[in-house]
Amino acid sequence: MVSAAPPRLGRLSPLTVLCAAVVIAVTTTALNSWAVSAGVLLGLAVLLASVGLGRKVLPAAAVIMVPFGLSLLLTHGLFFPEGRSVLWTFGPARVTAEGLFFAASMGLRTAVFVVVFLAFSFHVQPADLMALLTKYRTPPQLGFVLCSALTIAPAIAARARRVAQAQQARGLVTGSGLRGRLAAVREQAVPLVLALLHEAGSRADSLEARGFGGRSRRTSYREVTDSRAQQVFRTMLLAALLAFLVFWYGAR
Amino acid sequence: MSSSSSLTLPAPGQADRRVRRLLEILGALAIAGTYLYLVLAQPADITNGLSSGSTLLALSGFLLGVVLLILGILPTLPTSTLVLIPVALVLNIVLGQFVGSTLVPFYLDAIGTVLIAVLAGPAAGAATGALSSIVWSLFNPTVLPFAAGAALIGFLAGLAARYGLFRRFYLAPVAGFVTGIFAGVFSAPIAAFVYGGTSGVATGAIVGAFRAMGDSLLTAITKQALLSDPMDKAIVFTVVAVLVYALPRRSTLRFPFVRRFRVLAGAKSS
Repeated sequence: MVSAAPPRLGRLSPLTVLCAAVVIAVTTTALNSWAVSAGVLLGLAVLLASVGLGRKVLPAAAVIMVPFGLSLLLTHGLFFPEGRSVLWTFGPARVTAEGLFFAASMGLRTAVFVVVFLAFSFHVQPADLMALLTKYRTPPQLGFVLCSALTIAPAIAARARRVAQAQQARGLVTGSGLRGRLAAVREQAVPLVLALLHEAGSRADSLEARGFGGRSRRTSYREVTDSRAQQVFRTMLLAALLAFLVFWYGAR
Repeated sequence: MSSSSSLTLPAPGQADRRVRRLLEILGALAIAGTYLYLVLAQPADITNGLSSGSTLLALSGFLLGVVLLILGILPTLPTSTLVLIPVALVLNIVLGQFVGSTLVPFYLDAIGTVLIAVLAGPAAGAATGALSSIVWSLFNPTVLPFAAGAALIGFLAGLAARYGLFRRFYLAPVAGFVTGIFAGVFSAPIAAFVYGGTSGVATGAIVGAFRAMGDSLLTAITKQALLSDPMDKAIVFTVVAVLVYALPRRSTLRFPFVRRFRVLAGAKSS
């Protein structure tokens, strides 16, 4: 979704990838074991690297997981009042084996969640998402908002650059200190928001003129890759997940 | 821009409206039920690891509620409001991602949501908040469980605008502060049961400090949220107030919600 490149997980339907992502995330969370999470993470890294998605997904996941991991280490690694096996103390900080173990398990579990859903994001294209939402008859407004948000960012960035350049051409100079900086931000933010409101107004008129508010069933020019075999696979996958959850929590 | 419904297409029927209202009620019940269960029924002891059942319950309950709310609210919004939502989402995500990567214990990820809520009302605010988290989760999946909290912020901001708290400039940060208290108390169990902590380094340090004083995980995260969220939302509400008052009157008065409830000072209803 983030790139305009074609899907990289073969000819898998986005729904199949989403289904697999949900099953992996839910199963790993339910098992709640650091060893399982680490194994799944390793398996995912190998799989994504083999299909050429590793270079995109893994750095993106690292950007999210590094601050998250640091936060967990700060919270549980240094301060874990419930911990008994103290490894090191320094002032109020008390590193315990239980705290480090807890931080590692939560971090690994969250890393699996992040990697599988990022893999889905990099696999699906906004146009496919729109076609799928149309096919399954969700409100057309949902497809518009999701796909518009995913594709509008470059246009907003370009508009923000133009506003900044225009203000600089009129003599905008960022003053020193907090007050000067805030004034400069205001000088750029107000025209930007005003332009975005104005453009949104024109877009609303165009959409209305083309029957956007109508309730009749939509059709889509775009066909999303799917097959009977994938549909059966998805059903079986979800049924297996349900059976696993009933067994796992029922047995406790 | 000012059109609230199509002039050429038939208006939705009574049955449609009833179904949407039902979806909204079910969504709100799913969110409230999940929250109450998490707070009332879960043990605070984490020495043996957090219960995976409560994590899955938090994820599925809040997500189901948010999806039902979106399906109920979106079709009722006028196109003029709908086209603003993607703009608000981009504002939220860009600012939130930027601030989240700094060492400031704030988020500033709700400016777009609060802007829509002030211009278009509580329902539009709630839908924008929820959708914002869903779209953001495509780039950063860790924000997905907080979608219900984002919807609550949008809803409360819309209520504040509806009852005139943006008519006096000094009342906007007060409304933001109060919204932040609700948002903090609401999001703390999600952070605790889903992630066992917070995602930012600065917020993590604050949680760590409370843990060092012997607080349970849920208490420490709630206290951190009560330190960060009210101040964060007071800043966000103030920024939005500055923004809407700096916009030309003709731009803000295009929104039926602003005219009908006289949201801004001097904006007489027409």
